[in-house]
Amino acid sequence: MGGKVTCTLGEVKNRADFIVYWGGNPAECHPRHFTKYTLMQKSRWLPRGRKDRTMVLVDIRETKSAKAADIFLQVRPGCDFELLSILRAMVRDEPVDPDAVAETGIAYDVLEDLVRRMKSCRFGCMFFGMGLSMTRGKHMNSAALLTLAAELNAFTKFVAMPMRGHGNVTGADVIMRWQTGYPFGITFNRGYPRYNPGEFSTVDVLVRGDCDAAFIIGADPGATMPQPAIDHLARIPTIVLDPHVTHTSRLARVHITTAPAGIAAPGTAYRMDEIPLPLKPALKSPYPTDEEIVRRIREAVATRPFWMPEDSPQMTTEQL
Amino acid sequence: MLRITGGKIYDPASGINGEIRTLYIEDGRFVASGEGGRTIDAAGMIVFPGGVDVHTHVAGGAINFARAMTPEDHRRTQAFIRSQTRRSGLGGMAPTTFATGYLYAGMGFTTVNEAAVPVLSARHTHEELSDIPIVDKSSLVLMANNELLLDQLDAGEYERARSILAWYIRAAGSWGIKAVNPGGVAAWKWGGNAGQLTETVDGFRHVTPGTIVASLARMCHDLNLPHPLHLHCNNLGAPGNVSTTLETLRHLEGHRAHIAHSQYHAYGGDDWDTMRSATSDLADWFNTHDNLTTDAGAVLFGDTVTITADGPWQHLLYRLTGRKWGNLDVENETGCGIVPYTYRPGHLVNAVQWAAGLELLLLIEDPWKVFLSTDHPNGGCFWRYPEILELLMCADYRQECLRQLPDRIRSRILLPEIDREYSLYDVATAMSAGPAQALGLPRKGSLAVGCDADVVIYEEDDNIRRMFSHPRYVIKSGEIVIEDGDIRETPDGREFLVQPHCDPDTETFIRPLFEDCYTMSFDNYPVEPHRIPRAEIHHRPASP
Repeated sequence: MGGKVTCTLGEVKNRADFIVYWGGNPAECHPRHFTKYTLMQKSRWLPRGRKDRTMVLVDIRETKSAKAADIFLQVRPGCDFELLSILRAMVRDEPVDPDAVAETGIAYDVLEDLVRRMKSCRFGCMFFGMGLSMTRGKHMNSAALLTLAAELNAFTKFVAMPMRGHGNVTGADVIMRWQTGYPFGITFNRGYPRYNPGEFSTVDVLVRGDCDAAFIIGADPGATMPQPAIDHLARIPTIVLDPHVTHTSRLARVHITTAPAGIAAPGTAYRMDEIPLPLKPALKSPYPTDEEIVRRIREAVATRPFWMPEDSPQMTTEQL
Repeated sequence: MLRITGGKIYDPASGINGEIRTLYIEDGRFVASGEGGRTIDAAGMIVFPGGVDVHTHVAGGAINFARAMTPEDHRRTQAFIRSQTRRSGLGGMAPTTFATGYLYAGMGFTTVNEAAVPVLSARHTHEELSDIPIVDKSSLVLMANNELLLDQLDAGEYERARSILAWYIRAAGSWGIKAVNPGGVAAWKWGGNAGQLTETVDGFRHVTPGTIVASLARMCHDLNLPHPLHLHCNNLGAPGNVSTTLETLRHLEGHRAHIAHSQYHAYGGDDWDTMRSATSDLADWFNTHDNLTTDAGAVLFGDTVTITADGPWQHLLYRLTGRKWGNLDVENETGCGIVPYTYRPGHLVNAVQWAAGLELLLLIEDPWKVFLSTDHPNGGCFWRYPEILELLMCADYRQECLRQLPDRIRSRILLPEIDREYSLYDVATAMSAGPAQALGLPRKGSLAVGCDADVVIYEEDDNIRRMFSHPRYVIKSGEIVIEDGDIRETPDGREFLVQPHCDPDTETFIRPLFEDCYTMSFDNYPVEPHRIPRAEIHHRPASP
């Protein structure tokens, strides 16, 4: 188990005749997803657009996205991993325990129909949201879904993709990977990158009170992190770069207002399928960009203060 | 001014074989003479032009996917600790960008060619390339499965297809084009593949892998590209695939081409149990045809991660090994697959692969035609090149390694009968002068006056692996970057881009087709050359 079988969103637009959303509510959280990529688009291979596609929604409650679905499966909360494992077994024609099926809240014949559709479509795609990846089982749930998608390739073409959001989180992930080898949860405290989610992830470092300063760019942990983490941010010198006043900026020692990326600041953002998009600002902002501020801080730190001896080993002029 | 005196100079591009001469460097180039400045006393040392890697995967969506998939390797690998001149990073199977620059330069390589870039994510590849310090870079754009192009070929519109190709090369900011499993990756979009050169590709009416190969090779010539078609043939890795490879070479109809990682395309036999090396068939073809170059794609035993645009092959590899599998299909253009892999000496197929890579390097007589590569990281990591050099330069060591392999292997390979040994001159050709010439890179791979002052100086040593792993000096564009085993400077390298002639109405023609199948706005699609730092753009008029 491991890896990810995926594609860019254009492949879904052009080919996917079978689409599953699992643990997400795209109608409200990614409102352009249906129209731009997954359901409404027509293509060479799907000339009738929506009519040529089947959409399944798997979630614990009937959200607005259920209206767009051809099939809605209401899974019992906390049973996603079990349901995915049952589907993996059924895809391989292995026997499954009826009690285990009943436990998921979905009838066996409904699952049988789902498996038949999955195996007989021409191009299937599963999108999964935080309802799967951030609930009980967490990364094991994602792994089970990704494995199901990989195994379905023995029968037909099948891919899977996480429904990422929150601005340019994918871009941060991509760049951390090429510079350090890891996507997040990295420490440099030994002079080289080390990775351990749960130990070095921001939330864990803050909850344990391990850091004595925080530098936050374009994120609002004060709104989403657990209270002990927020308390620690208020305790230590916290510096926030953000175009807006946020929960975090209110508790920070320093808030530097920046030009909003994509509106008044240029750059590159990475889409959920890791395709880089250039940002072309439409407006001018009186505020500096994040990049400019970070560069100026770096230069200021690298400059030798007057009280430091000239050959001091801590000072670097080139790189910091 | 920098002078290098007393060293034995190996400069195959100028035909200099081990003569003691003085090199003069000024403003990043070699000059005829000069006074003042620093002198490096290279007496008793060996002087080569900086290494050039003709085929490697060091930047972009695919290798970055591989980095994400192998955290367990990062943890055990060489760490680069941040210092005053160096940024931190990790080596290993899929090194991070900064470490990639340090490792290449540390081995005496000063130019690398990233061999597989989808246009859709080319912006990402260039951002990564600019984060690889020291070395100069070029890149090749993936074209053999681009449906807009294939549609034109399908309709018999050769010239229109050629304009589209030129437009894509400009849009990607590339140096040339790479064809991967022509037609096969397009078919993989529906879970299929393309194994026969004369069979129509799934989803098309006329176009076959054979016509794709022939057309692309001709287009490279018509567009006057510095590097010919860079070709990854169909049926990679499959037993008996040498027949496909030879048929592909026939389809080139005499046009120039570079055959990538030919080791993976040189097998006989019918299945995994009967697989054997068929390198002599392929080597004969190379020895008798002058339109071709190749790189070995040699295999070294040990752990690695395989990365290729050949999606269907990676699905097969995943099913064979049961290991992690990454796949990324790119709309309209190409695919990509990633599977970690371990080459084992006791495994018959792996042993054949190991021998086949070395056989090609030894059986193709002209070192201007076959270059050192492992198709990093597919056959092994690039920082293991010195191990291959030791195998090429010492027949005794080769025999010793062969004794470690299972006895059954002997009937399947030719390596035990080969006693050729590479000379230093051969190594300098296969590692620098040859690949630079094949890539058409200006001023690379030579120590002649006017060329870029990229030099590597080795301390003569009986231990070949040690000698090539640890050069005494590495000079990049006249700057000493490695001295006595330490990284002294980490300048930023340049990037080479080519802009072939493109009919002005091509954009008007592509726009509606593009908007139909892509999910990005047309105006955002081409990489703006001004966003590629230190780009060196070469304009090419069309061939007369």
